[in-house]
Amino acid sequence: MKYPGRPTSLQARLLILLLGLVTLVWLGAALLIWSDARHELDELLDGHLAQAAALLVVQQTHAEDDEVADAPSLHKYAPRVAFQVFHDGQLVMRSANAGTAPMSTRNGGFETVQLADGAQWRVFVTRGAQRDVLVVVGEQTDSRSSILWAVLRSMLLPLILALPLLGLGGWWAVRQGLAPLRQLSHLLGQRRSLALEPVDLPNMPSEMQPMVQALNELFERIERMVASERRFTADAAHELRTPIAAIRTQAQVALGAGDDQAQRDHALHVTLAACDRAVHLVEQLLLLARLESVPVNRSSSTDLRTVARRVAADLAPTAIARHQALELDADRPCRVVGDEMLIGVLVRNLIDNAMRYSPDGARVLVRVMTEAGKTVLRVEDSGPGMTEAEMSRLGERFYRVLGSDQPGSGLGWSIVKRIGDVFGVKLQTGRSSSLGGLAVMLYWPATK
Amino acid sequence: MRILLAEDDTMLGDGLRAGLRQLGFLVDWVRDGVAAERELAAGGYAAAVLDLGLPLKDGLEVLQTLRERKIATPVLVLTARDAVPDRVRGLDLGADDYVVKPVDLLELGARLRSLVRRSHGQMSESLRCGAVLLEPASRQVSLNGEPVPLSMREFDLLHVLFLNAGRVLSREQLEQQLYSWGYEVDSNAIEVHIHHLRRKLLPDLIQTVRGVGYTVPRTSESA
Repeated sequence: MKYPGRPTSLQARLLILLLGLVTLVWLGAALLIWSDARHELDELLDGHLAQAAALLVVQQTHAEDDEVADAPSLHKYAPRVAFQVFHDGQLVMRSANAGTAPMSTRNGGFETVQLADGAQWRVFVTRGAQRDVLVVVGEQTDSRSSILWAVLRSMLLPLILALPLLGLGGWWAVRQGLAPLRQLSHLLGQRRSLALEPVDLPNMPSEMQPMVQALNELFERIERMVASERRFTADAAHELRTPIAAIRTQAQVALGAGDDQAQRDHALHVTLAACDRAVHLVEQLLLLARLESVPVNRSSSTDLRTVARRVAADLAPTAIARHQALELDADRPCRVVGDEMLIGVLVRNLIDNAMRYSPDGARVLVRVMTEAGKTVLRVEDSGPGMTEAEMSRLGERFYRVLGSDQPGSGLGWSIVKRIGDVFGVKLQTGRSSSLGGLAVMLYWPATK
Repeated sequence: MRILLAEDDTMLGDGLRAGLRQLGFLVDWVRDGVAAERELAAGGYAAAVLDLGLPLKDGLEVLQTLRERKIATPVLVLTARDAVPDRVRGLDLGADDYVVKPVDLLELGARLRSLVRRSHGQMSESLRCGAVLLEPASRQVSLNGEPVPLSMREFDLLHVLFLNAGRVLSREQLEQQLYSWGYEVDSNAIEVHIHHLRRKLLPDLIQTVRGVGYTVPRTSESA
């Protein structure tokens, strides 16, 4: 289960996040320090410029010669600083690297200009005590930049050196932190496909406990499902053996009948009936399997009276053939929760069971009514009914009442129960007070 | 050979009864465990085919009760329960054979014949008494290698006598083993069949023990 194009490793993700964050914070700090340092540097150096200018101004008052004096260069930074002193617009003194043209046209204050040599200069202009003296002091801005860069370098270099170390350390730390996860995945990876026993990790971190617990619950649910599925398959195969045995035997009887036309016909008829029975069993099995796996739409509603009428009409010919009286008592429509097809299956199974397990000539009464706001479906018959023990075993798959000679699938009640569960229908069985046989009551939850 | 069939499924029971009859067995069919136990206790059956999932009394319980009561009738269990523990349990409780549904009729017949033969201590499928050879599988009887046509009843009578060679069987015992339910037996029916057999085969093949019954001698060649 990989998501293409995204880092799928938790470790890589954590590491990238961690290193990214460290770099970002560091860079932010560097930026802050840089801007702060520049500001301070500017103030400091501007102060120096102003002070140098003040010195020159003071000095100028004592210099009386008319010659332009060139100040000696005394420091390696000297070419980066320059000054000019003007007296009545005449250049009287300058540093070696300062041209003859005034570096600034301003009358006072700071200015950043580009001079003839192409470099950026920070220039301070001030007037002397006498207004005729003009002092211009300049400094190449390059020097400021190089200082700033040096500051920045001292910030960034450790970062560049530290990043790989941090990466390694982070990788190790994250790996250590994720060890329980790796342990879990290793544990799960080693399992056989249908090993569903719960997972148990020693010293499990609290963050993982809900996940592992959910996982164990899932395992338990799957195990129950698999077990029920296995039992179902085994039961189904088992139940199909008898009709298939009947088909095989009867077919063989037909083959061996020789001249006995009557015997052959009988055997072939029973073969067909046994095939129908096997088909019925398979259909019921499929229906049940589908009911147990597919989620059912619970929001639909249907008219119970219409459904009961349709089912009763379908089953009437069978009832007539067996001289059974099938009656439907439903005076008005009753909307109930449930899918029309499934409610139909439910009603059919109930009526079919009542007819099947009642003798020829019996009465089967189906009633749809409302009791205290609840819709009730009652199916009663005049058959032999069931004992308490038999009723308690109803709904076990393939359970058939012993001694009944009817080729039922033994699945009808399982289907009824399952459909009832889906729609919240309550099932109740008892003895019919009016007919004496079995009475089955279905209570739908009250509809708002 | 009279067989008791205990099977609750109508379609299968009907088929098994018809099929086994085609193979020459006399079949009585019961549909629940209580009836099966009652019939087997009454005797007269050469073997029984017993379904396990019987109403009223489970087949295994029937089997257990029979064996506890020392009724040794061979029982072939015919069931849908195919798991090995089920088979083991069935055989341990006294079943002589265990067959899982569905079964081939011819195989079922062969297994029944084999059960009957073994329960009478016979080693081979064909039975011989002097010059007379009886082959149960093909229901053929021959005298000195020449096939002799016999009626169904005559064959069954000879078969019972051959299986019990060396023992004297009373007329009642023979009747019990030759007639399934609902059959009106003439009081002299056995005598008539014995008479026919003597005429068709050898006059001194079947000996009468006056006041007791009939017997054929056990011969060393009958193996």
